[in-house]
Amino acid sequence: MKSVLSIIGLTILGVLGGIAIFTPAPYDPHERVSAPFQPPSPQHWLGTNDIGQDIFSEVVHGTRTSLLVGMLAAFLAVLIGVIVGVIAGYSGGSVDTLCMRAVDVVLVVPFLPLMIVLAAYLGPSLLNVILVIAALTWARPARVIRSQVLTVKSLLYVEAAHAVGGSFWHLLRWHIIPAIVPLAMTQFVTVASGAILIESSLAFLGLGDPVQKSWGTVLYYAQARGAFLTGAWLWWVVPPGALITLSVLGFALVGYALEQRTNPRLQYN
Amino acid sequence: MTVKLASYVLVLLLAITLNFLLPRLMPGTPLRFFVGDDVALLSQESVRELMAQHRLDRPLWEQYLHYLWQLVQGDLGYSYQERKPVLAVLLERLPWTLLLTGTALVLSTAIGVTMGALAAWRHGSAFDALVLSLFVLLDSMPSFWVGMIFIAVFAAHLGWFPIFGAQTPWAALTGWEYLLDILKHLVLPVLTLTLTTISGTFLVTRSAMLGVLGEDYIRTARSKGLSEFRVLYRHALRNGMLPVVTVFMINLGFLVSGATVVETVFSYPGLGRLLYEAVLQRDYPLMQGAFLLITVSVLIANLCADLLYSRVDPRVRV
Repeated sequence: MKSVLSIIGLTILGVLGGIAIFTPAPYDPHERVSAPFQPPSPQHWLGTNDIGQDIFSEVVHGTRTSLLVGMLAAFLAVLIGVIVGVIAGYSGGSVDTLCMRAVDVVLVVPFLPLMIVLAAYLGPSLLNVILVIAALTWARPARVIRSQVLTVKSLLYVEAAHAVGGSFWHLLRWHIIPAIVPLAMTQFVTVASGAILIESSLAFLGLGDPVQKSWGTVLYYAQARGAFLTGAWLWWVVPPGALITLSVLGFALVGYALEQRTNPRLQYN
Repeated sequence: MTVKLASYVLVLLLAITLNFLLPRLMPGTPLRFFVGDDVALLSQESVRELMAQHRLDRPLWEQYLHYLWQLVQGDLGYSYQERKPVLAVLLERLPWTLLLTGTALVLSTAIGVTMGALAAWRHGSAFDALVLSLFVLLDSMPSFWVGMIFIAVFAAHLGWFPIFGAQTPWAALTGWEYLLDILKHLVLPVLTLTLTTISGTFLVTRSAMLGVLGEDYIRTARSKGLSEFRVLYRHALRNGMLPVVTVFMINLGFLVSGATVVETVFSYPGLGRLLYEAVLQRDYPLMQGAFLLITVSVLIANLCADLLYSRVDPRVRV
């Protein structure tokens, strides 16, 4: 059952990655290539949007943007999470308390409204979107990594290594990092799943990068031009949303499978 | 509890400080965040006058203290698009958000807990697998997309429900007709929000119940000859509810975020939609007010859930 889920997840991600890397968009998604509001045809598989851009090309282009943003934001978030988690777990005491209080704060903040406010001030750019997502999603990874570091630190042979004068860097290199890498990978996949969803929401609200169209951007224009009031929703609204769902699902399934493997508490269930 | 309370106060202070700092640290004159982009057209003199009026010519710490004092008095600034005090605009919109998120929260918790308990009870059955995959799939869907599809199918094509808003404009309905009108407008947004927030409650209830159903006292209850219904709902669910309350709290945040997007899709006149409109119109005081009120509501809801938690589980001390 678990391996089936991970195979489904990996297949979904493989196909989407393949689209992102290898599928050439037939047209420039920023060029007007046909009459506006065209239904699907052999030239334009998903028809054209309100100003005559090819929707299929937009969606292919959006695959690149959405996956890239999701993965970069997740990477950054997990990086922050690992640094905070290791520092908190290793130091203990007031440093630990301080870090965990920060984690609590980030977890309680209503993230989308805050992101909207931040994005509104910082202006719409891909980099800002990535930074804002990372700044608000590192808390969960930090918490997981910290508790793993605490576990590692209390192992007898690690205590022994510490007692005979093993430095922080020695412990980090030989004991802590090997123990947290699997967890960090799981967190990366899980955060990526959420980050794609958040990016699409921001882009849908018109706060994404207007130059780098993502799936959410396509849906933003579909909403703004009332695509769901006509038959156009079938080829303008359904495909980008279905791809968002698939990618979120793909990452979530792989994350679930990884968690079963890496979480010692779940291993023997 | 004091620790929790402290972190809520910290979140509140952080939100306030962020609201205070963002307009003042951005490049360009901060004045445009108070009176709008028209500031570029004003004369030097009126700019100076406005700067003085908003105390932007004072030292930062003095501005901060003044800002806090204003907040304490309930003065959230002036919305230059709506031409009203921000607080007045917010209070107009708050009831709609409470109606939408409150209904969705009750529905998603009720359905999530019931289905989670049933799935755990029939663990490994076709029903379990079906419901589980359905909710995992729903969890992956962006709420705005679900909303758009609902509008396309149920509002635009089938015509069962209105396409946007919270009530029919200029209809001047009264009594039952008014209530029915509001209800009709509520169905699709609530359905969207419920479906996209249900899975957290479902998954946690399911796994908590799986744990509880393996306990000895459940076997005792069964061997006493109690009905399955009684075992499930009176004995197992009571203890299985603990983690559900935790998820309930986490869901509050998601619900508010979800509501922001769903309200936008349905043009529902709540706080989330207001936040979006304020961003579109570059009405910064309004945007900050909406953000602050949303944060305060989430914190209050969290606090209530904490108190509830200690009632449900007497082992947790307040």
